[in-house]
Amino acid sequence: MQPVMPDLGPVFPETVLTVLALVLLLADLVIKRKETIGLLSIISVTAVAYLLAGSLGTTFGGMFISDGYSIFFKLIFILNVILTVLISVKYIQIEKIDYGEYYSLILFATLGMMLMASAGDLIILYLGLELMALSTYVLAGFMRRDVKSNEAAMKYFLLGAFASAFLLYGTSLIYGLTGTTDLKAISSYIAGHGLAGNPVLMLSLIMFAVAFSFKIAAAPFHMWAPDVYEGAPTSITAFMSVGPKAAGFAVLGRVFLTAFGSVRTEWVLILIPVAILTMGVGNIVALSQTNIKRMLAYSSIAHAGYALLGIISGTADGLSSVMLYMFAYAFMNMGAFAVIIMLRSEGFRGDNINDYEGLAKTHPVPAVLMTIFMFSLTGIPTTVGFMGKFYVFMSAVEAGYMWVVIIAVIFSAISAYFYLRIIMYMWMREPKEAVELTTSPAIGLALLITATAVIGFGILPSSILTFARLAITGF
Amino acid sequence: MNYYLLIPFLPLAAFIINILFGRSVLKENAHWVSILAVAGSWVVAVATLMDVISGKTLNQNLYTWIVSGSFKVSVGFLIDQLTAVMLIVVTTCSTLIHIYSVGYMHGDKGYYRFFSYLSLFTFCMLMLVMANNFLQLYFGWEGVGLCSYFLIGYYFDKKSASDAGKKAFIVNRFGDFGFGLGIIMIFITFGTVYYEPVFNQAGSFAANTVNFLGYDVNLITLIALLLFCGSIGKSAQLPLHVWLPDAMEGPTPVSALIHAATMVTAGVFLVARCNAIFSLSETALMVVALTGAITSLFAATIGLVQNDLKRIIAYSTISQLGYMFLACGVGGYTAGVFHLYTHAFFKALLFLCAGSVMHAMGGELDIQKMGGLKKYMPVTYGTMFLASLSIAGVPGLAGFFSKDEILWLAYSGPSPVGKLVWLIGTVVAFLTAFYSFRLIFLTFHGKFRGTHEQEHHLHESPKTMTITLMLLCIGAVSAGWVGIPALIGDAVGLENWISEFMRPVLGHPEGHGTHAEEWMVMAISIAAGFAGIGLAYFLYLRRTDIPARLSEQFSWVHRILFNKYYVDELYSLILIRPTIWSAKNILIGITDAKVIEAIVNGVPNAIGSFSRQLRKVQTGLLQHYAMIMATGVLIIVALMLLR
Amino acid sequence: MISQLFFGYFAAVIIILSLLVVTRKNPVHSVMWMLLMFFHIAGMYLFLNAEFIAAIQVIVYAGAILVLFLFVVLLLNLREELQTNRFIGSWPAGLVIAASLLLSMIAALRSFVPGPSGPYTIALIEKETHTRVLGQVLYTEYLFPFEIASLILLVAIIGAIVLAKKKVRS
Repeated sequence: MQPVMPDLGPVFPETVLTVLALVLLLADLVIKRKETIGLLSIISVTAVAYLLAGSLGTTFGGMFISDGYSIFFKLIFILNVILTVLISVKYIQIEKIDYGEYYSLILFATLGMMLMASAGDLIILYLGLELMALSTYVLAGFMRRDVKSNEAAMKYFLLGAFASAFLLYGTSLIYGLTGTTDLKAISSYIAGHGLAGNPVLMLSLIMFAVAFSFKIAAAPFHMWAPDVYEGAPTSITAFMSVGPKAAGFAVLGRVFLTAFGSVRTEWVLILIPVAILTMGVGNIVALSQTNIKRMLAYSSIAHAGYALLGIISGTADGLSSVMLYMFAYAFMNMGAFAVIIMLRSEGFRGDNINDYEGLAKTHPVPAVLMTIFMFSLTGIPTTVGFMGKFYVFMSAVEAGYMWVVIIAVIFSAISAYFYLRIIMYMWMREPKEAVELTTSPAIGLALLITATAVIGFGILPSSILTFARLAITGF
Repeated sequence: MNYYLLIPFLPLAAFIINILFGRSVLKENAHWVSILAVAGSWVVAVATLMDVISGKTLNQNLYTWIVSGSFKVSVGFLIDQLTAVMLIVVTTCSTLIHIYSVGYMHGDKGYYRFFSYLSLFTFCMLMLVMANNFLQLYFGWEGVGLCSYFLIGYYFDKKSASDAGKKAFIVNRFGDFGFGLGIIMIFITFGTVYYEPVFNQAGSFAANTVNFLGYDVNLITLIALLLFCGSIGKSAQLPLHVWLPDAMEGPTPVSALIHAATMVTAGVFLVARCNAIFSLSETALMVVALTGAITSLFAATIGLVQNDLKRIIAYSTISQLGYMFLACGVGGYTAGVFHLYTHAFFKALLFLCAGSVMHAMGGELDIQKMGGLKKYMPVTYGTMFLASLSIAGVPGLAGFFSKDEILWLAYSGPSPVGKLVWLIGTVVAFLTAFYSFRLIFLTFHGKFRGTHEQEHHLHESPKTMTITLMLLCIGAVSAGWVGIPALIGDAVGLENWISEFMRPVLGHPEGHGTHAEEWMVMAISIAAGFAGIGLAYFLYLRRTDIPARLSEQFSWVHRILFNKYYVDELYSLILIRPTIWSAKNILIGITDAKVIEAIVNGVPNAIGSFSRQLRKVQTGLLQHYAMIMATGVLIIVALMLLR
Repeated sequence: MISQLFFGYFAAVIIILSLLVVTRKNPVHSVMWMLLMFFHIAGMYLFLNAEFIAAIQVIVYAGAILVLFLFVVLLLNLREELQTNRFIGSWPAGLVIAASLLLSMIAALRSFVPGPSGPYTIALIEKETHTRVLGQVLYTEYLFPFEIASLILLVAIIGAIVLAKKKVRS
């Protein structure tokens, strides 16, 4: 067998990102101001984003697919990096964790996500997932002095390993059944050999569903999320709540619609109860939270539930609505975390919901922004959050899951209570003590980007919707 | 012709700038942004009108917000003859009233807030009239309602003002509920909410019936009546008129702009815009005509005996709006819109003059405590006098032409109730002239009846206000000259321009009558107007003792009229008090029995306590988490394999 | 028959040894049982005709990693470790869940239909030699995963250094 040089064009952005991440790792030795490294990492991912457009194609024998679908998700990941870095710069100085490795690890995690989104083979998928996961475990435990941060990293690591075991078990079962790990080959083998009702295939499906549910924090595989979100450095919580979740949805969509597309009727039966339970647990438990990071963790769980509806509907519209949802979620959630991070200052944690009392009186601008983000998370029209929900729900209605959508709308109504509570605290209560805000140009920029996007795409969603629909043609 | 976009978006920009920088940067200069923006809109509106006159109309979707299947929410603009006229009305009044407000609101602590609301209102109103689909119309409709609510309750520290705001909001809910249902019916019937396909296809549904509350109703009639529900609320027709007099609690420029010239006429605009639907249903037209006629008579009679300066004008507004509906109901949409257009000028002028009087009187509103003001404020007196002549239908002034056209169409048109509403209309013309001049004579003539302190303080208003009054006065006098009836026009060589102009959109029913009849109708209406003025002159300047004697002799009539037919009391009796009573007794009674409490508090409480229970699952122990995951897997495996 | 017997032996012993690893109170004992388990895994590989991997298993896992484990364990305070419980109170529930899961999986696996085998038959591998085949597959067909794996290792190293070596600033 004569080795053939694989086409490196499609992986060029990932290659560049790897090189740049390594360069940043080395640059840490000579650059003393860590903000510079943050800036460099933003420049790096921007360059990568620029390269993405020319990277269409499939390479390494179908293992790596760079298509519109993956590029859309990769843009979300890159956006996630930019926003995370912007909200990190000041914050990690306060937490005294401003090491260069912080940024390198973020880039490596992003690389893992990008590989996941492009995976055409279960092996790549697994490796990408591990690369992402390992980087995030370390990032979650970055505050070594902080017991909660250590605990978060440990829990995330052990439960993540537990979930990975399911993924590997599912992979080995499917390999045993079909003799391949290639997603397209699996699909055609299942169809060609009439495996549709096979219990082993079911078992494999369940394993995949479990592993991906863990990554997107869907119930009952969400248990790690609240503890890890609360314990991790806030900037990393923001990073984790968007990136790995979007990556999880990317592989969920790819694997379930490509490899297991022919047994959709089977996996829908798994995902519907998972989605309903996720929305239920997320929204209901969020009601009784007193820590805003925990509350947003449950909110993040709930949002995974809504987005699952798009996968469940299984149509092109459904898939593009999930993409839109993740895009919307990136902005509104990042924005909310940017405000949360501003409350953290030397000697003040500022992650308690009571800390928001009367914020509108003392700091009106952040209060207005937080109000926008909370409205968006609730799904109030003219915000991007509404658009996300609207299209996901509509796709599910059109696919015939009216009853699931009704449940989703009810839970969505419940969710208004805990989002609007924050707004109520900010606007209707008197400030207890003077809260000092930590501001910096970077966080201001992050807030500007997110708020503009939340309102802008809420009013003019057609551009991004068209992009999402275009991206999945030929998926 | 894309510059038309500037018309709504300039005021929007002004609103945004004012709300963002008004408090901190602009402060006393906040009016500049708004005035420039609205004046810019006016310029563009005039240019647009020119375009439309030269034959260019436009129906364009600007951008689509959400699409899902056949359901589409988009922003689009329809610019035709009707829109062009409305644009002129809205931007002209809005610009002048913005300028007037500089003087009137001077020194108010929420100066920038006032101007930003006013600009926002202008934006919403423009979006409403420029819409090319029902959803956008609805959003504009609700938008102006919301601004009206803000502005009525502008002096929110005054309880009556915030109550009036709430009243307006709640009363409008009733109408808007029907309006919303109407739009839903339109979407169900036609599968679209765009004007063009709806109006084009309306004819093919004319014979369809639909079961509504157990009755078979003609589909088009039902849609028309549901839409008309919205009109009744917004244009303060019977039985939803109660909010408009109370809305006078707002600042006077607001009364002039929103509650006289523009927003309240949206109902008339809606009927005119949907003339393709209304014309298909004789029943609906009859309802519109009768509602308008009865309301106009009803409000005019109340106006006869009121003493509150602004409320008299408010009842006059209700009455004139009724006139417009009367016109639409007999098929004279052009006449209705024509009256809307002339009315905007003289009624806005009346309100602004009232504001000027209030300014001089230190907020006093009771006309019994005024008198003889004409020597202190000549400009206000002169302009208000002309406006009153105009509304009374004195020949040559704006009000005469539109009123005459309405009465002639009612008399000669095909409507089965035409003769009846013509009779009512003529009576109302008499009453209108009477109460308008009662107001003039009591306020400006005779001796001053207020306190000495007030007398000392009397003065003419500042320039920004008087200039506005004079400008509006030009409109109040001359606005009608675009619609000179053929009867006179043929003689002097002028055509009825506005009828011709509006014909493509609104059609133009021809009256069936002889020239002699037409002269007669005109003569009767002129006579009614002069009779009203004459009677007012006689009673309030010559024999001032008679009114008091009359009100004593016919005390029960006076009482009924003075108390506005006890409608508010009636609503209080049959709607509000029972609601509050049942809320207090039945609901609280049941709450005692823990039924409602169980539902209203119980559900959230149950969710809350469930939430706290569920929260305990989150023990923090890693082993538990893994166990729960494994349980999840087990349940799914069991479910899938044991199917 | 004989091969099934071997497989049964190795499988059973691996399970038993794994149980011993997680149930021992003394970490040193756990590590020792683990060592024994690794040898059995190597035996299993041998028995599957994967001699090279068996050798790697012994050298890397049994030789290098376990020694490292042992070093770490020796750094712990063994007396304290011995005091703590190995399991949380509700372990029987966990046992029941795990056992039921196992049973349902076994039930499902009865309908397993093996898929097609790959191009590398035992005979071919014997002819080409293990290292050669492995090398060829790893550096051609699986080059890409191989590279990613190297990045994972790099991240693991960075992570270990960051979490262990960085000075805590205060």
